Amino acid sequence: MSNIWKSVKLDFSLVKPYVKTICFTMILPVVFAVINRSLLTGISFAMCFIAMTTGYTFSVTEKNSMERLYGILPIRKSDMVIGRYIFIIIMGFTALIFSLITHPVVLIILGESISMFDYISAAATGIFLFALYTVFQLPGYYKLGSIKGRVFMYIPVAGFLITLLLITRIPVGESKLLFAVIHSPVLLMLLAVILVIAMYVVSISVSIKILKNKEI
Amino acid sequence: MNDYLEVRNLSKSFEGFQLHDITFTLPKGYIMGLIGPNGSGKTTTIKLILNMLKRTSGEVKILGFDNIAKEQEAKRNLGVVFDSNYFSDEWKVSQVEKSVSAFYENWNTQKFSEILERFHIQPSKKVKELSKGMQMKLMLACAFSYDAKLLILDEPTSGLDPVSRDELLHILSEYIEDGEHSVLFSTHITGDLERAADYITYISYGELFFSGGKDEFIDSFRIVKGGREELSADLSKKMLGIRNFSTGFEALVKTEDLKQFAHLNVEPAAIDDIVVFTSKRGERYE
Repeated sequence: MSNIWKSVKLDFSLVKPYVKTICFTMILPVVFAVINRSLLTGISFAMCFIAMTTGYTFSVTEKNSMERLYGILPIRKSDMVIGRYIFIIIMGFTALIFSLITHPVVLIILGESISMFDYISAAATGIFLFALYTVFQLPGYYKLGSIKGRVFMYIPVAGFLITLLLITRIPVGESKLLFAVIHSPVLLMLLAVILVIAMYVVSISVSIKILKNKEI
Repeated sequence: MNDYLEVRNLSKSFEGFQLHDITFTLPKGYIMGLIGPNGSGKTTTIKLILNMLKRTSGEVKILGFDNIAKEQEAKRNLGVVFDSNYFSDEWKVSQVEKSVSAFYENWNTQKFSEILERFHIQPSKKVKELSKGMQMKLMLACAFSYDAKLLILDEPTSGLDPVSRDELLHILSEYIEDGEHSVLFSTHITGDLERAADYITYISYGELFFSGGKDEFIDSFRIVKGGREELSADLSKKMLGIRNFSTGFEALVKTEDLKQFAHLNVEPAAIDDIVVFTSKRGERYE
């Protein structure tokens, strides 16, 4: 078993006692989906909520002074960080699958029809939101701990507002490339995937650097 | 390899505190006590050994491996016990094994069960339900289960009752019996060391005061006692620390200077005496 996978397992054991609480967090977005009669809304909320629970691993570590355990284990700091990111991505993926099953079931029972496009757009938006939150949050937690690090959660919100402000000023019609990207779902998805991967690569590198320089 | 732990010219600067040029070696098969008053740099030294703090300069080798360049190899056969538990409170003892064992190739589940039984720790109990002494034993049980060659303990006896302390010292003595294991044991309860330690490293306010055999350490100092009229200025200068009473004085002196104090009442010094008298940074303890 690789050290990264061992680290993933260790992180799972940290949040294992809180699985019920995390599962409960996934119920509320169903209500949002019902109120708005929208899969996109429900999935977006679900992925934002699960992104907020990623601080559990850091909180448990801090509460029990477990940095000392991580400090004595025969494992590289980079493996610890990559392991934690993988664990958190697994958490996000599980939440996405759960939401993509439960939300449509509830909406269909309520008489809503859901197309394949609804599924794809909701999943893509959910993944993007989750990535956007976690890539900022995790380095924040590594740098400042689970309480102070929460401030990094607001960076994506600020980013959204700035993007919304800028998007209206982009001269889409003048750029053929921009026009093609915006009007092609495939290109848009591809761009989103590349962006998500790039964001995680940068975020992981920053977190590794922070942890390597951190004194316990 | 004869030395399980080599610390050479280790230094670390903080704002307001400096650990300066610490050098000592711990041979295979022995227990070394790391002593000094609170804030002297014992925990800093241990954290530097474990690469939990970044050293300013110096070199540390654990079981022959550089503690930074070969960190994984160095920690593979290293067991560490801190003054408080480092497992999740919500974990059951059995979960501790599941979580930690994967990191050690030598982990022996049967041995872990046997040690738990010997220490009277129930696998079904949560870590938070264990007493401080039991939590300390759980950390030891983990280290013993992968046959850690070197055990580093940071103030393990602080907060333990005398029975648990005695039990810990007995466990450590057994652990080094085969001559293949070593222990570095930081404490300010020096009575524990009188019984268990073979070597002493004494750090005082960030400076290395002594590192060597325990008997040599104790034998290097004597307590002299006398009446006030027997205390001259010349003698006073030779004293490492002095405590005055209404009827007389007692002082710590170097054994090599003993000839000058031959007229006084001379007694052996305990480790506690040496630490107390010398930890006043040259000031007289009056």
